[in-house]
Amino acid sequence: MSPMNNPQDLNPSSLKSRFTTRFLRALTKINGQKPISSSSPREMFQRYRRIKVAADKSMAWSVRSRRTWSRAMLWKLRSRYSCRQASSSRRSSVRTSTIIKSRQAKTSHEKENKNTTTGQDEVGFVVQADKLRKLVPGGEAMDLCNLLGETAHYIKCLTTQVQVMRKIAHFYSL
Amino acid sequence: MQPCSREMQAMNSLLNPTQQIPLQDLQSNGNSNAHQQIQNPQFDPTSPHDDFLEQMLSTLPSCSWSDLKSPWDPPKSDETGPPNPDNNVGFHYDEILASKLRQHQINGGGGSSSAAAAMKMMMQQQMMLEGRATAAAGAGGGGGFTMPLSLGSGAAGSHQNDNIVDGSSFKSPNHQGGDGSVQALCNSFGAGSLHGTNQSSNQFQHFHHPQGGNMQAQNFGVTAGTVMNQSQASGSTTGGTPAQPKQRVRARRGQATDPHSIAERLRRERIAERMKALQELVPNANKTDKASMLDEIIDYVKFLQLQVKVLSMSRLGGAAAVAPLVADMPSEGGGDCIQTSANGKQTSSPNDSLTVTEHQVAKLMEEDMGSAMQYLQGKGLCLMPISLATAISTATCHSRNPMINNANPNNGNSNHLLLQSSGEGPSSPSMSVLTVQSATVGNGAIDGSVKDATSVSKP
Repeated sequence: MSPMNNPQDLNPSSLKSRFTTRFLRALTKINGQKPISSSSPREMFQRYRRIKVAADKSMAWSVRSRRTWSRAMLWKLRSRYSCRQASSSRRSSVRTSTIIKSRQAKTSHEKENKNTTTGQDEVGFVVQADKLRKLVPGGEAMDLCNLLGETAHYIKCLTTQVQVMRKIAHFYSL
Repeated sequence: MQPCSREMQAMNSLLNPTQQIPLQDLQSNGNSNAHQQIQNPQFDPTSPHDDFLEQMLSTLPSCSWSDLKSPWDPPKSDETGPPNPDNNVGFHYDEILASKLRQHQINGGGGSSSAAAAMKMMMQQQMMLEGRATAAAGAGGGGGFTMPLSLGSGAAGSHQNDNIVDGSSFKSPNHQGGDGSVQALCNSFGAGSLHGTNQSSNQFQHFHHPQGGNMQAQNFGVTAGTVMNQSQASGSTTGGTPAQPKQRVRARRGQATDPHSIAERLRRERIAERMKALQELVPNANKTDKASMLDEIIDYVKFLQLQVKVLSMSRLGGAAAVAPLVADMPSEGGGDCIQTSANGKQTSSPNDSLTVTEHQVAKLMEEDMGSAMQYLQGKGLCLMPISLATAISTATCHSRNPMINNANPNNGNSNHLLLQSSGEGPSSPSMSVLTVQSATVGNGAIDGSVKDATSVSKP
């Protein structure tokens, strides 16, 4: 994996560098918000959530909606954020939830359509394709061919994310 | 030469309405894309035949060209059209060739049809060559019209008898068996009635029926070899001659010419290439079959997502004070951090998460040690030999027990205690020892697998 990414390291606008800058920015913001030494599990959990969300968000932003999965992830994050923001006003939350539900219904419907058409050919893959669809964000509304392409890109981005986060953790722990 | 070349070009244009092939390309034996171009035999510049050719051409009424041309048209454009009007006797041969051409088309689509058309044209040309040769009393054809390609090398005339040459896969390439070669030609082309061409015709229009069967046979022998050579060289041999190499697989498989199956095939090919690309990304990629490959991909994506979660947890505290380890977050809504440290037995969920971790690690270790180590390190865990683990556990069990009993939130402190007592020094609190916790938890699953791995890594 690493030899593949090495040529990208030199590229200032590569996926890795974009993700790193964004993520570090988000991390410093999170670290600035709360004291580090919060020991209660709940707070730690919240912090963990924030960091994870920041990581996912910065990754999706680095891809910049060129891919279906990044678009889906950004949309999901934004809708959740707006849901939380509007938790006080019921109407907006209901609206967003209905939007989410309608979208899910639409995507599942599309998926079923596609399944019926593609089911004839590769019957054995439908089960695994469904699993993959659940894993990859935005995978419900794609046929197998595009799903595989999105999965490849998603795996590449995930490995980049893991590498960067590991290095940051290494620096932190030193 | 000039008029002859012009004639050649005219013929070229007639025979090959779609493509103009420059004369230089005519004799190209090894063209890879020759099957797209109909190979016209080269006009041989050997002079003695030129004049003769001119004569022949002058006597040839132009209408015959269209007649000659017509057999090609239907096979090229339409599979079902009958070859041509029967005004010319000699067209039986054309019919045969046309039917063969149609057969080729049914089998293989356009490419092969052009190939077969090439072959057919060769045959035609052969015929014409022989006609001319016979008319010239065995002068043999140099190129002239004909085109048989290497005929120019003198194959025809003088070589009526010898050349054939090319080790082509033809059964009896030598003219000797005049009939034999004709038979061979018939067999290969599936045309049983080549003999029909033996009918003499005094019209030079039908060059393909020269006068004598003998000469014809001999020339067939000569030309057959070159024809075969040509088609071999052109690489377009679907079914024409059984012994020739099948260089285009698609013509064989292309039985289904309806758009649905073509679309299906395209789709399958696209999926296959995406699977190949994925195979390179996923570390353990021995592609036995697609289903297992998909399983691998799914597991790997899950593993990567888990790694991201773990890393985001472990980065919670850069300082040494906090940051217990978390194995997993079974419930995202809850607020429980699950400890994988030695005293991590506060809720039942650590057990689950632990077994999950252990299962995953065991599975990873079977496949690839490196990724297993990475996985563990991502969680802040490590492997160690059992002896060391037992040493640590015995050394710290007395200090550990009170911690187990009281569900205290000071996990960081207990971590410190554990590590210090084991003498490892001030390692980061994010480090723990998997085997120790397995000893405490009482789960022996990992112990078996930890026999000899010894990396106790410090960050």
